[in-house]
Amino acid sequence: MEKVLTDFVKALRNSNVRVSPAETLDAMSVIDEVGYDDRELLKRSLSIVLPKTPDEKQKFETCFDDFFTDEIKEQVPVALKELKDIEDVKSDLAKTLLEGSQAELMISIADAAEASEIREIRYFTQRSVFTRRILEKMGVGKLEDELMQIGSLREEDIPTDLEQELRNQLTGLRERVSDYVQQQFLLHGDVSGEQLREQVFKSMNMAQIDRSYLHEVHSLVRRMAKKLANLHSRRKKNYRRGKLDIRKTIRENWVNQGVLFNLSWSYKKVDRPKIYVICDVSGSVGAYARFMLMFLFSLTEVVSKLRAFVFSSNLGEVTDEFKDSNLDSAIESALQKHGGGSTDYGQALTDFVSLCIDEIDKKTTVVILGDARNNFGPEKAHLMKIINERSKQVFWLNPEGKYRWDTGDSVMTTYSAYCTKVFQCGNIEQLERVISTLLKTAI
Amino acid sequence: MSDGPKKTISKITKGFAKHGYICSDQISTAVYLASELEKPILIEGPPGVGKTELANTAAMYFKKELIRLQCYEGLDESKALYEWRYGKQLLYTQILKEQMQEVLEGAKGLKESLGRLMKFEDIFFSEDFLETRPLLKALSSDKGSVLLIDEVDKSDEEFEALLLEILSEFQISIPELGVREAKVKPLVMLTSNNSREIGDALKRRCLHLYIPFPDAKLERQIVQARVPEISESMQIQLVNFVQGIRELDLKKQPAISETIDWAKTLILLNSEELDANLAEETLNILLKHQQDIEVVKKEIPALISSATETSDGKSIN
Repeated sequence: MEKVLTDFVKALRNSNVRVSPAETLDAMSVIDEVGYDDRELLKRSLSIVLPKTPDEKQKFETCFDDFFTDEIKEQVPVALKELKDIEDVKSDLAKTLLEGSQAELMISIADAAEASEIREIRYFTQRSVFTRRILEKMGVGKLEDELMQIGSLREEDIPTDLEQELRNQLTGLRERVSDYVQQQFLLHGDVSGEQLREQVFKSMNMAQIDRSYLHEVHSLVRRMAKKLANLHSRRKKNYRRGKLDIRKTIRENWVNQGVLFNLSWSYKKVDRPKIYVICDVSGSVGAYARFMLMFLFSLTEVVSKLRAFVFSSNLGEVTDEFKDSNLDSAIESALQKHGGGSTDYGQALTDFVSLCIDEIDKKTTVVILGDARNNFGPEKAHLMKIINERSKQVFWLNPEGKYRWDTGDSVMTTYSAYCTKVFQCGNIEQLERVISTLLKTAI
Repeated sequence: MSDGPKKTISKITKGFAKHGYICSDQISTAVYLASELEKPILIEGPPGVGKTELANTAAMYFKKELIRLQCYEGLDESKALYEWRYGKQLLYTQILKEQMQEVLEGAKGLKESLGRLMKFEDIFFSEDFLETRPLLKALSSDKGSVLLIDEVDKSDEEFEALLLEILSEFQISIPELGVREAKVKPLVMLTSNNSREIGDALKRRCLHLYIPFPDAKLERQIVQARVPEISESMQIQLVNFVQGIRELDLKKQPAISETIDWAKTLILLNSEELDANLAEETLNILLKHQQDIEVVKKEIPALISSATETSDGKSIN
C-alpha cells in the first residue's frame, strides 16, 4: 500500500505541489489513522498534510481525483483456452501471451518500457510513440508476421482457434501497454504542460511572447520577485542607539557583579530597499514596454518603498495607480497616458531630477528601464551624474542585445558611464538575475 | 476516543457546535488529525473566518487551558519562552550577602572559599527564578493545554526558527537548566493571515488547514448559532446579500465576523425585512473601506433583489 502513496506523491510533485519526504511520512501516519476505505475522508485528511498553500490545495484536489480513479481499475484475467496446436507458435511474444501468467506479462511490459526509456516521457503527444516503441521491443513485429503466415497457410476463410486467440491477446496487449504508458505519463510527464511553458517563457525574448500569455508570465515573474524579496528584505541591523534594553543589559553584565559595563540596545532598524524605477514606454521599446511595466508592477507588489515613473518624453509617476489597480488596467492606463511617443531621455531626466532629486539619498537605488535610444536629442548626461552621485547606486536595464547598443541613435555608453551596473534584460532568466542583484545590493 | 475516525470526527463537529462554533468537515478532520498525530496545525485564511476562535473552541472542547501567544514584529525568546527574574535575583543576592559571609567564615585562601561555595547548588538559576512565558508554560502544564500562536506571519523569521524545536520535538533547551520536555504534549495551533510567506521549515512540521469564506449553507448555520434571535427570512436574505458582496471586486471582503455583527445590528434596529435603505445605512458595518462602500452602494438594488428572490424561491437547506 505504501507504493500507492509514494506514487501519488510523485504525481503531486509533477503537478507542482512541493512535498518533502517528511511530509510523505506524515501522510503515511495519517493513512494509518484513517485508512483507505473512505475516499472522502482520505482526501480531506491528505489535503491537510500534503499541500501547504491554497493554490496547492486546488492542484491537490484535481490530482487526487485523477490518481485515485485510475488506481482502482481492475485487471481482467485472461482465460487460457486449451489449444491443441500451441506448440506450433514460434515467436517468444506469442508464447508469453498464450502460456505466461499475468505477472510475467506485466514484467515483460515493464522491461520493454524500461528499455525504451519511458521515464523520459514529458508531453502527452509522446504517448503513442512510446506505446509503439514498447510494443516493438516486446516483439510485436514477429508476432504479426507469424499471424500473417498462419493466415496464408489456412484453407478456409474462418480463422483457426489459435489465430483468433492470438489476435485477441494482441489487442489486449496493445490496450494494456497503452494504459501503462498513460500511467507512466501521469507519473513522469509534465501533465499540465506548465513546466514546459515556463521553461520556454523563461528563455524567450520578452518582446516575442504573445500578449495573451501575459498573465502566466506575470505569475512567473511575481513568484520570482516575491521569493527574492522575501529572501532579502528582512535583514536587520543592530544599531548602537535607540532604547536601552535593561533586561538584556543586566543579563549580559551579570558576570560583572551587576556593574553595567556593556550596554545593549533594543532598537532594531529594519532596512528595506528604497527603489526608484524609471521606465521607458516610448515607441522604440513598444514591444518590450508591456513586459517592462509588468516587471515594474511585480516590483511594486513586493517592495513597499518603491516609486515608479514612466515616460516617453515627459515623465509621469504611476506609483499610486500601480498599487491600487490590477495588472491589466495598470499597464493599459500607463501606456495610454504616457506611451507611444518619441523618446526624449534628456527631458525625462530633467523631470525626474526636478521632481524628486531631494528624496534621493545614500540608501536609494535608481533603476532605469530603457533602450537609451534618444532620437539624437540632447542627452543631458550631467543629470545622470547628479543622480549617480546622490544615490547609492544606479542600475540600467536594457532590453536590447549588447551588440545593438550604441548603434543608430542609442547612447548607451554615454549613460552607462554613470551607472553602477548595466544589465542586458531581454528575457525572464536575465530578469531573475537582475532582480536578485538588485535586492541583494539595494538593502 | 477508540471509535473509528469517522465517528470521532462527527463527534468533534457536534461538540464544537455545542460551543457555538459551526465547522466544516475539513476543519473537524484537521482537529482530529492534530490531536491523534500530536502535530501542530497551521491555520490560514482571510481575516475574520474564525481562525482564532477555532483555538478557543478547541480548548473548551478538550477541556484544556488555552495559552495564547500573540506575535508581533520584534517578539523574541525572552517574551515568548522564558526569562530570568533579574530583579529577584539581584534582591536575593543583596539579602543573602551576610549569609555568604557566614558560610565563608574561617575559610583560608581563595581555593577553600570557592570549594565551600561550590557545595551549594546553582540557586540563582533555578526554577524559583524562572519566569515562564507562554511557550514554556504550555510545555510545563500538567493537564495539557491548547497553545495558540496567533498571527505567526507578524513575527520575525528568527522567531520562526525558535518555534521549530518546540513544534517538532515539544521541548525547549534552556542553557542553564537543560532540555525541558513537555509533560503532556499540547495541541498547538498557529494562525497566519499570509502577510508574508511562512518558511518551508515551519510549514513542513505542521498540518495545514486553509479556512476559506464559508458557502451560503454553512454561513446560515453560523449566523443561526451565533444570532439565534434572527428571523428565518431575514437570515437567508442577509447571508445571500453578503455572499453576493463577496463576488464583487473589493479591497477587503466581509468576513463571517462582519456578517454576525451585521445580523446583530439588524436585530437591534428591529428590522424584519432587508431593504435598500436599511442596507445602505448599515453598510459600514460590513465594509471597512470607503472605496468598497461606494462600489457596493451601486450594486445594492441588484443584490437585494437577488437575495430576496432566492429566499422566496428556494427552500432553506
